[in-house]
Amino acid sequence: MKILTTVKKVVDVELTIRVQAGAIVEDGLQYVINAWDENAVEAAVQLKENNNAETTLVSIGGGDNTDMIRKCYAMGIEKGIHVEDPALEKADSPVFARVLKKVFEKGDYDLVITGKQAQDTDSGQTGIMLAEYLGLPCVSNVIDIQVLDDQHIKVSRLGDAGTEIIELELPAVVTVTDSINEPRLPQMRGIMMAKKKPIDVMDLSALGISIDDADGAAAPTSEIVEFMASKTREAGQKFEGDAAQITAQVVSLLVDEANVL
Amino acid sequence: MAKILVVADIKNDALKDSTTELLSKAGSIGAETAVVAIGSNIEALISGLVNAGSDTQYVADDPALAIFSAGPYASCVADAAKQFEADQIWFSFSESGKAAAPRVAVQLEAACATEITDVAISGEHVEVTRPAIANKVMQRVRINAGQMVVVVRAGAFEAAEGITGTENVVTLSPPAVDVKAVVKELISDASGEIDLADADIVISVGRGVKDQTGVDLVKELAHDLKAGFGSSRAMVDGGFMAHNKQVGQTGKIVAPSLYMAIGISGAIQHLAGMNGSKVILAVNKDPEAPIFNVADYGIVGDLFEVVPILRAEIKKIRA
Ligand SMILES: Cc1cc2nc3c(=O)[nH]c(=O)nc-3n(C[C@H](O)[C@H](O)[C@H](O)COP(=O)(O)OP(=O)(O)OC[C@H]3O[C@@H](n4cnc5c(N)ncnc54)[C@H](O)[C@@H]3O)c2cc1C
Ligand SMILES: Nc1ncnc2c1ncn2[C@@H]1O[C@H](COP(=O)(O)O)[C@@H](O)[C@H]1O
Repeated sequence: MKILTTVKKVVDVELTIRVQAGAIVEDGLQYVINAWDENAVEAAVQLKENNNAETTLVSIGGGDNTDMIRKCYAMGIEKGIHVEDPALEKADSPVFARVLKKVFEKGDYDLVITGKQAQDTDSGQTGIMLAEYLGLPCVSNVIDIQVLDDQHIKVSRLGDAGTEIIELELPAVVTVTDSINEPRLPQMRGIMMAKKKPIDVMDLSALGISIDDADGAAAPTSEIVEFMASKTREAGQKFEGDAAQITAQVVSLLVDEANVL
Repeated sequence: MAKILVVADIKNDALKDSTTELLSKAGSIGAETAVVAIGSNIEALISGLVNAGSDTQYVADDPALAIFSAGPYASCVADAAKQFEADQIWFSFSESGKAAAPRVAVQLEAACATEITDVAISGEHVEVTRPAIANKVMQRVRINAGQMVVVVRAGAFEAAEGITGTENVVTLSPPAVDVKAVVKELISDASGEIDLADADIVISVGRGVKDQTGVDLVKELAHDLKAGFGSSRAMVDGGFMAHNKQVGQTGKIVAPSLYMAIGISGAIQHLAGMNGSKVILAVNKDPEAPIFNVADYGIVGDLFEVVPILRAEIKKIRA
């Protein structure tokens, strides 16, 4: 089984993010692997270890993301593709999905594993759209993957009514959520080996995409006009001291001041 | 006049309030509205669909649609969208909506935006507002396509008073089953419990409650208040709480009148699921816990001491 895993380099959400004049202030930002993509990588590596799968990752954009790809190598991914092209600067999820489609068509993959969403966009569209463009079956929000045979996998998905158990015919696309696994920390040996591994870097023309081609990267259908600061909540009243006294006080405030009890 | 198709949010055979909220918003921006309802044995919901404020009701009612499957579900929505000639298709915030919206967008060659909190017409363009980067920023997004599919974030729109609709039912033909993604089984969530999305009060436990004894202690408080009982990821990972109780970025987004965070530190991914709540109460023994930065009322103390007092005090005022 050949697996393609998608990984995106995203801004570190744990750090402070400031907005000025409609844009995010670059100063002081750091970039890391998208958390859910780490789960996707771990899922792929587990399928390599348990089911002899071959693992390839692809990352689109992000500038120099050698460090991130090497981290995934150190976790156990065997091959890496980096698509980098200035034309992708304003790409949205459908554009990324169409580029991924070309990557998919160049390899002979059986399974694509993406993260459930990218932490910078919080959009949750790319993997599902990729499947739709390819005409492949897709399950999103997956928490478990079992290989049945060469042509089938069984996945569990967290849905609205409970956990759905779904049998998928390969090739297929799944998007994974964080409760699927605990991504491993790369070990020293893996880190050393990862340093020597090549990364296959290509631009859109190498993928056979012309910028003006509507099927390719052209014309995002959604465009961020401006960023705004989120409405931040103010810290309210904090009570310390005798538990009985402060708790009684807070309850009466919930009744009389906040009117919520 | 824009035509907006709202996808009915149906859970456990009932129509959720979000359907009315979305239709109210669509009506308030002067759109002609339709609703599409997908499921099995849902005839009884039709009057509710009308009363929710829709002008046309597309109904796909088939035994094969009893359990959610994204492919057939999306086909029904796309079918209704084509018949109605919808300019916009609005899903409520649900796992079904999140799974189906991108498919419908690709099928219709429409733009797609998820977790939106507002829609506006700006000149020739439609613009949406949405949070991004774990709610740390907001984005204003311009739609460069004739059609748009959106998923509306929980709690974004309010139901209008005294809305009415007109009954005009259109029956959709059942979609083909997805033979490449076969739903074998649905392991249903425990029934009879209050759905977090509907609850007026939500009480959540975090790692601070430690174990089952702690969980049970807080659960009694939730029971007293008929509150939804939720959790941080830590307690789900620990096996103490079910997946569907997780509040946060990868769990449920809730916006109740009152949210109580008991023994929860306030990680950004948790906040992203609850910081739209009207009032937040936090109980934490660490005065520096980040949850206090968003809490309207903070009690610094040991929850094992505070929660029983909280129960007793609330009982007193309710008596
Ligand atoms: C991609 C990703 C997605 C995630 N999605 C989610 C999500 O959807 N929801 C979510 O919740 N998390 C999510 N997380 C995890 C999140 O980052 C935190 O790890 C998690 O929320 C921590 O849970 P907690 O607050 O219960 O535990 P902790 O951070 O360990 O906090 C426990 C708190 O309890 C307090 N405490 C301890 N004992 C007592 C006592 N006796 N009395 C009072 N207070 C006490 C402590 O002071 C502490 O503040 C996600 C993480 C990632 C990377
Ligand atoms: N530029 C990209 N490069 C590689 N993978 C991506 C890229 N954008 C999105 N993805 C994948 O698609 C998932 C969903 O992204 P999004 O639709 O932006 O939320 C991510 O978790 C990634 O796995």
